[in-house]
Amino acid sequence: MTEDTLPVSEPVRRSKTKFWSRHRGSLLFASSIIFAFAGWQFLSSFVFNPFLIPPPLVVFETMVPMVKNGEIFRHVAISLARVGVGFATGCAAAILLGVILGRIKLVNDLLDPVIELLRYLSPTAMIPIAVIWFGIGETSKYFLIFWGTFFIVLINTTAGVMRAPMIRQRAAECLGANELQIFLLVVIPSAAPYIVTGMRIAMASSFMSIIPAEILAADSGIGFLLQQSSVLLQTNRIFVALLTICVIGFIFDRLFRIAVDRMLSRYMSYIALT
Amino acid sequence: MLAVRNVSKVFGADADGYIALEGIDLQVSEGEFVCLLGPSGCGKSTLLNILAGFDQASEGSVDFEGAPVRGAGKDRVMFFQDAGAALLPWLSTEENVRFALRVRKMPKQQWPSIIDKYLAMVDLAEHRHKFPAQLSGGMRQRLQIARALAVEPKVLLMDEPFAALDALTRRRMHGFLLDIWQRTGKTIVFVTHDISEAVTLADRICVMSVGPGSRITEVIGVDLPRPRDLADPGAARLFKGVEALLTYEK
Repeated sequence: MTEDTLPVSEPVRRSKTKFWSRHRGSLLFASSIIFAFAGWQFLSSFVFNPFLIPPPLVVFETMVPMVKNGEIFRHVAISLARVGVGFATGCAAAILLGVILGRIKLVNDLLDPVIELLRYLSPTAMIPIAVIWFGIGETSKYFLIFWGTFFIVLINTTAGVMRAPMIRQRAAECLGANELQIFLLVVIPSAAPYIVTGMRIAMASSFMSIIPAEILAADSGIGFLLQQSSVLLQTNRIFVALLTICVIGFIFDRLFRIAVDRMLSRYMSYIALT
Repeated sequence: MLAVRNVSKVFGADADGYIALEGIDLQVSEGEFVCLLGPSGCGKSTLLNILAGFDQASEGSVDFEGAPVRGAGKDRVMFFQDAGAALLPWLSTEENVRFALRVRKMPKQQWPSIIDKYLAMVDLAEHRHKFPAQLSGGMRQRLQIARALAVEPKVLLMDEPFAALDALTRRRMHGFLLDIWQRTGKTIVFVTHDISEAVTLADRICVMSVGPGSRITEVIGVDLPRPRDLADPGAARLFKGVEALLTYEK
């Protein structure tokens, strides 16, 4: 009996556990989302006022025509373009200045106090003046995202460059590396994990700060969609916009991580070592 | 080859600065294996940094092959205890050696043969595509040796290179280093706080006193044949003798 059942049951059990262990992460992820939606559906149908918190199925109903006629994509594309331009220019400027600050102590000593003060001005705090400077066109949004990105990446880059291990630089120096080689081939790669981390935080903050910017000063974009729907008391559309923000932010963070894994993994994997 | 004359080193302002080294004299001849021995805080690393050119003596002179040392020189390669920090962790074993050849401006067509030669010498040929994080502590030190030898320096300056390794690996590394030293005839200045390490390796042991104002209190020539066994009466006697000379922080 046992001889009969064992060979049959064992491979089945093994494949089951194998399936589970291979897809554990994604299964748990999916079930977490499904449970959240189910709970939301229940609460808005039976507990809360469905006008104030529309149930997910109603939100999806609202979303379908917005997807079909492309309205949602237009807003997403505009917001993404703003984040993209502001984030890219912010990172470029911050990395450039950050490596200088990290390398040249005098420049750092002179600029650090100013940076330490300015970095408390969130992009939201800068909206009123940005509108006066640049109007409600694209430039003001680029500026606000740039502003938010710049300080985060700057501070991380400076820290990374400063903390490039002295031993590593000296080792390179006595092998024959000149100043420029030490800087480009040793210091910058050593700072890469810091810079990338700063960029990732800055990206999340860009996705957050584009919304108030568009709410207060725009005629398009996801933030504008929120603002417009609020004025018209369209809670369904507000929830569509909120969900969109969650999904877009999540997708871009994942994409960023995948890109880093693909291109920079050799610079990232050694943090534990030093 | 290396001549240190009356070297002092003061850290900080003159009045209340810390006197790390005072009146150090040391001559190292070509092909010699010299150990600087002393407890922690005796300024041996400071002296080594001055020899390497990373640091400058406050007083006195340091000459290498008749010319004063100014800055890090390519003929004196420093060798660090923390190989993880000294190596470039984003480069593989092979690429770390290649990095050295690149900054040394060796002709490109020689790179493959030089890399092969030195990786074989330190027994890392089959690990050439691994990254430092994937190597053991001893392997990382061997990689550091290969990378240093690849640029063909005249002097190896070693700052407690094996202190972080376990005792067994350290013994193997001693054999390794002596073998390479005998084959290549490099001059080695080796800093250690381990008496048995000094007795195992050195032609000459320079005993340093505790700071402030460390100096070389004793220089002991060692003419025991290699490989040395600490259980041998000669080596054991030397060990005892050196131990009696060491001073410790009060």
